[in-house]
Parts: sequence; C-alpha cells; structure tokens
Amino acid sequence: MKEQDAPGPERQEAPMDPSLWRGLSQPRLSRRQVLASAGTGAGAMGLAAFLAACGVKGNAAPSGSSPAGGVGTEAWWAKQQLHHTVNFANWPYYLDVLNGKHPSLQHFEQTSGIQVNYTEPINDNVSFYAKIRPSLAAQQYTGFDIIVMTNNTPNALGYLLQNHWLIPLDQSMMKNFYKNAGPLVKNPAWDRGNKYTMAWQSGYTTVAYNSSVIKNAGNSVDILFDKKYAGKIGMMSDVYELGSIGMLALGIDPATSTESDWAKAAKKLQQQKSDGIVRAYYDQSYIGHFKNGDTVVTQAWSGDIFQANLNSKYADLKMMVPGQGMMFWTDNMCIPLYAQNPKDAMTVMDYYYDPQAQAVVEYYNDYVCPVPAAKEVLLNPTGWAQQALKDLKPEIGLPTSVTANAPTVFPTEEYLKQARNYRTYKNAEEVKAWNDLFLPITQGA
Amino acid sequence: MLAPYLLTLPAGLWLLVLFLIPLVVMLSLSLQTCNPATGACVMTWHWGEFGQQLSLYHTQFVTSIYFAGAATLIDLVVSFPIAYWIAFYGGRRKNFFLLMLLVPFFVSFVIRTVVWQFILSDQGIILGGLKNIGLLPQNFHILATGWAVIAGLAYNYLPFTALPLYVAIERIDKRVLDAAYDLYATKREAFLRVILPLTIPGMFAAFLLTFIPALGDYVNQQILGGTGDTMIGTVIQNSFLVSLDYAGGSALSTVLMAVALIGIFAYARILGSRTIEEYL
Repeated sequence: MKEQDAPGPERQEAPMDPSLWRGLSQPRLSRRQVLASAGTGAGAMGLAAFLAACGVKGNAAPSGSSPAGGVGTEAWWAKQQLHHTVNFANWPYYLDVLNGKHPSLQHFEQTSGIQVNYTEPINDNVSFYAKIRPSLAAQQYTGFDIIVMTNNTPNALGYLLQNHWLIPLDQSMMKNFYKNAGPLVKNPAWDRGNKYTMAWQSGYTTVAYNSSVIKNAGNSVDILFDKKYAGKIGMMSDVYELGSIGMLALGIDPATSTESDWAKAAKKLQQQKSDGIVRAYYDQSYIGHFKNGDTVVTQAWSGDIFQANLNSKYADLKMMVPGQGMMFWTDNMCIPLYAQNPKDAMTVMDYYYDPQAQAVVEYYNDYVCPVPAAKEVLLNPTGWAQQALKDLKPEIGLPTSVTANAPTVFPTEEYLKQARNYRTYKNAEEVKAWNDLFLPITQGA
Repeated sequence: MLAPYLLTLPAGLWLLVLFLIPLVVMLSLSLQTCNPATGACVMTWHWGEFGQQLSLYHTQFVTSIYFAGAATLIDLVVSFPIAYWIAFYGGRRKNFFLLMLLVPFFVSFVIRTVVWQFILSDQGIILGGLKNIGLLPQNFHILATGWAVIAGLAYNYLPFTALPLYVAIERIDKRVLDAAYDLYATKREAFLRVILPLTIPGMFAAFLLTFIPALGDYVNQQILGGTGDTMIGTVIQNSFLVSLDYAGGSALSTVLMAVALIGIFAYARILGSRTIEEYL
C-alpha cells in the first residue's frame, strides 16, 4: 500500500495538475471510495502473498521400503534401551477396567517394571491420523509409542504404511506372538510377515436381522437388498464397509477386487438406495435403531450383536454368517516413527499375546481374540489370571465360559472360513477412486 | 489517549486469532493442492476447486438452504407469540420465563437431538402408540425423512430466534399502542400496523441468527435424516474427516460462507445496516 501511494520527489515539486482543477468541478470519487478501492487493491495483493505463504510444509514420504536412517533394522534395535516407561494410545472401552485401574496392565507393570501411560484418545481412525500427521511430517515424536489403527481404513493405517511412518517391529521380541497368535492375525494380508503391526483385537462386519420379524432369514447378504424390507434396512455410512458388502453381494472378494468391480458394487448400492430399500446410512448409532425396531435388517458389527444378546430384551437380534463371507477387520498395535520408547513398546505388545493377559482383556471386551489359547484360560483359569478374572466377575456379571464359547470371540471353523479381508489400497489415488464411488451414495441426493 | 485502543485489544486479539487467521488459512487451503497421505500442501492457485466442488455438491447446498429456511420460518412462527407474551405479559417474571425458554438448552446439543431419535422412533412412545390404535399405518415413519431434519433444526435453534425477537418486542414503547387506540385502531390493526412493523428488524436479526448456523449444521441430518437429504455440513465434514481432502472441504466452506454473506448484505441493502447492529 505504501509503495503505491508514496509521492515521488518530482511529484511534490510539480505544479498543480490541470486535471485536478477539472476534477473539482466534476463528479468524482469521494475520498472514502478512493481509500476503499486503494485498500482493496493493496489488501488483495497482500492477501495473495499471505495466502501463498500458508502452504503446509510437509516432508515428502521417504522412498524405499523402510524408514530412513536404518530405523527398525536389527542393528538399530540392538542399540535400543528400555526406558521403563511407554505411552500407549488406544480406543475407549478396549482394555479391562476395575475400579478405575486396568488389571492386565497392572500385572504387566509389576512383572516388567515398565510403567505404561495408557490413554484412550482414539475415537476415529482418520481424525486421529490427522492429529498425529503434522508431527510425523515434521519428523517429531507424536507423544505415543503404541497406537492402535484399524486395517479397513486406508487413509489412516494405509497412509502410515505407505509413508513408512511406522517403525518395523523387532521380530526377535515377538516370542509370545509367534507362539500364540491365531491364524487370522498372523501374517495378515495388510501387513505381510507382521513387519509393522500386531493385532490388538478384531471383529466381523456382517448382517444382522430381527428374528421376531424375519423368520427364515437364510444365509445371504442378499437380504440387505430385499424389497420386502424396504425402508427398514440399515446400511453403514463408512465407505469401506459399504463398498465391501456391495462386492460380497456380487460374489466378488473385496481383497482382490479391481476398480471395475468397485464401479459395479457402487451401481448396485446406488440402485438399492434409489429403490427406497435403505432407511439410512448409519455410523455406530445403527445399533440403537436396530434395537428400537427402526430397522429389521442391518449391516452390523459382531461385537455389538453379542453385547445386545446378553440382554434378554434383545435376544431376537441375530447375527448371520452369510455364504458370501463376512468382512474381518483388525485393530492393530503399531509403533509410530520417532517413538521415544520403542523397546518398551515391543515389550507391552508382546505381553498381550500371553494367553492369561488376553483372557482378562477378552472377558472385558468380547471382540475376536487374537490368541486362541486364551479360551482355555477362560474355561479353566490358572495363574494370576485366575484372581483377575474372579475380581472382574461382579463387574461383568457373566460366567467366563460365555466369553470362551462365543464364536464371535473365539471363531469356529465356519467363522474362520468365512472371514474376508478388506482391500489393501496401493496409494492415495486408489483411496480417492474408492471414495469418489461410494461417498456419493451415502451423501448424495 | 491509548486507553480506548487497549480496551479493544482483547476483542481484537480474539477476532484475529480465532476468526481472521483461521479464515485466511481456510481461504488459502481452498486454493492449494494437498497430498492426503502426508498432509503436504502446495499453493497452486487452483481457482477451479470452487466450481468443481459446487458442481459436485450443488444439490446438498439447495437441500441445506431449503431445510434451514423451513426451520427458520417455523421458528419465527412459533417463537413470535412466545416472545410477544413474555415481553407484554411477563411482568416481573420476565427473566424467569426467559430462563425457562433456555433450560432445555443446558443439555448438550447432540444429546438433545439423540433423544428425539427415541421419541420419534418407529415403535417409540408416540408413533408406536398411534400405530397400535390404528391411527397410523404400520410402515409410517418420521425419522429418516427430511421432515425429521427440519423439525430437529427448528427445535435446536429456537432460542436464537426467540431471544432477538423478544429484545425487539420488549423495546417497543407501549404508549404507541395507546396512541393507536386513541386513533381508533382495532386490536388487530394495532398489531398489524404498529407492533409488527416495529419488530421487523428484530425478525430479520432472528432470521440471520437462526438461518446461518442451521445452514451449516451437520448434526441433525446425520442423527435424524435418511438417504438423499444430506446437508452441506455433512459433506464438508466428510471432506475433512473421511477423505482428508482439506482443499475441497475448505472450498466448500468458503462457498457456504459466501452464500451466508450474500444473505447478510442483501438484508443490509433492504433494511439498512443500522438495524443489524442494533439487534445482533
């Protein structure tokens, strides 16, 4: 603004311009208008420079197959020391609680001498990723040594893997894991060789129906497209769940699907919507609507139906094991790059592959257990878990055998066979292509 | 000499840090190209983003304007008698009645909306009963329709309409009514030709205070709505939290703000800017 208005020395000495005289007798811009337009011009220029300067300076993801500087190599791990402290970030209600303490963690702290700062800041994969992303881009510690991310969310765990923003695990410290991990979480499709992740808990996304309304539901996801139940069918607003079940309905395995398969599934789901079959696309609130009777068939998470069935009022809500398969998701423990206490993190992660620790966790949260041997502990408690399970019992109010015998906690042969993996996306473009197909269904007209 | 400036400092800082800077960052982001994986953004002056987003989501804009407009009209009709009654007949208990109007809003926004889910559910306390006595067909439902969204918006933003209306009505000099009666006005005429014109600026302030937040609302539709009635707020939320598309989300927010600003300026043109300042 100054440069524009500053009068040059020659202008100061110049005689009065005749145009000024002319101006005095003719309509002209008011002083205010002149100031306003000058201000707008200069302001716009300043704003432009400022807008341009607002770019977020992120670091390009390192290329190659692992983080720079040899992080996560055997030599690097050999240099790491225990710091006797670790910062563990998890989802809420995911770890056994008794009187405000976590019995399985307490046992770990007593036996290992490592203090665990357990927090529950993760409510959603993508928004949590968006929170830690600036730290990682700036090559800084996120404040967490262990985070738990779901494999079905490509724009969280997927990006962490693609950007090499996770520390490769020390395979030599995974003794319990290799001894006890179940077949569904060992060497999984989304992380071959468990190079970066170890499962925390898993679950199925499938179809549930109200058996008081639907007598012969059969065992096909086609029931979600049945016009008989139009307006009473709930679908998930999560685009990865929605797209995946669309593909199961077409007999396509989501894990190996191609972009043209996605388009076919999107078309089928769009048709389902325009036929008025779908009542709404729900987030976690789907279970409330299902219990209320607003929906009679719904996409559902196995854990929710298990929990609902514990109340006799909702015993009619049944989970289906469709012939086309059920989506199997896993929440994975992983160590974000620049973590300060990686060795302590490895110690905690491997501890949870101890059947006794896992039995205590499972009795509390009833998800799919990554450790099949925990079933035996729940049936015949031994060791320290015996006391911990006994202490938890008044809180849970159920015999431990209920958890042990639930196929949604310890999958049967059939459940193992019907588990289907989500698509593992190669890059951000694939994620965008998927979102551009399925988001218009949930949020379009 | 400096004192007046110093006194405006807190407000000025508040405006700068919490409004102007975020606003400029938003404008800036909408012109950048971002990598969703790393979050790295570069300024590309991509003005096409606005047109692109608008062509993708104009339906949701229209839905938002329609829902917010309908909710605001309902609020004006419902809260006018309330505000009128409190201002004219509230007597010494005026503050108590105003407090009563606000009490439900001490409960969190989301919880209030979720409660409506239970009240309006298909087999719930209202619809379930009416269906059982045969007054409604079994497949009738309110939830998962645009009506439920409009009702939710109207309910949630009611105080933003009622309070400015109350202020406008309250400040009417009651003697103008006496003057009207002295000039042989009937009650109806006095209301239509004296009271109503005097409250118009308040009504417009109420309209803006209700319409603008309702326009960007993303809670009511998600909790009460069904398919095909998505409002622009949800689309913006998804751009940020599902697609990590900050540029697209910022561009949509910018367009939404432009729509709201055009509304304000159109209003200022029609009624003069003085009245906005008086009633906001």
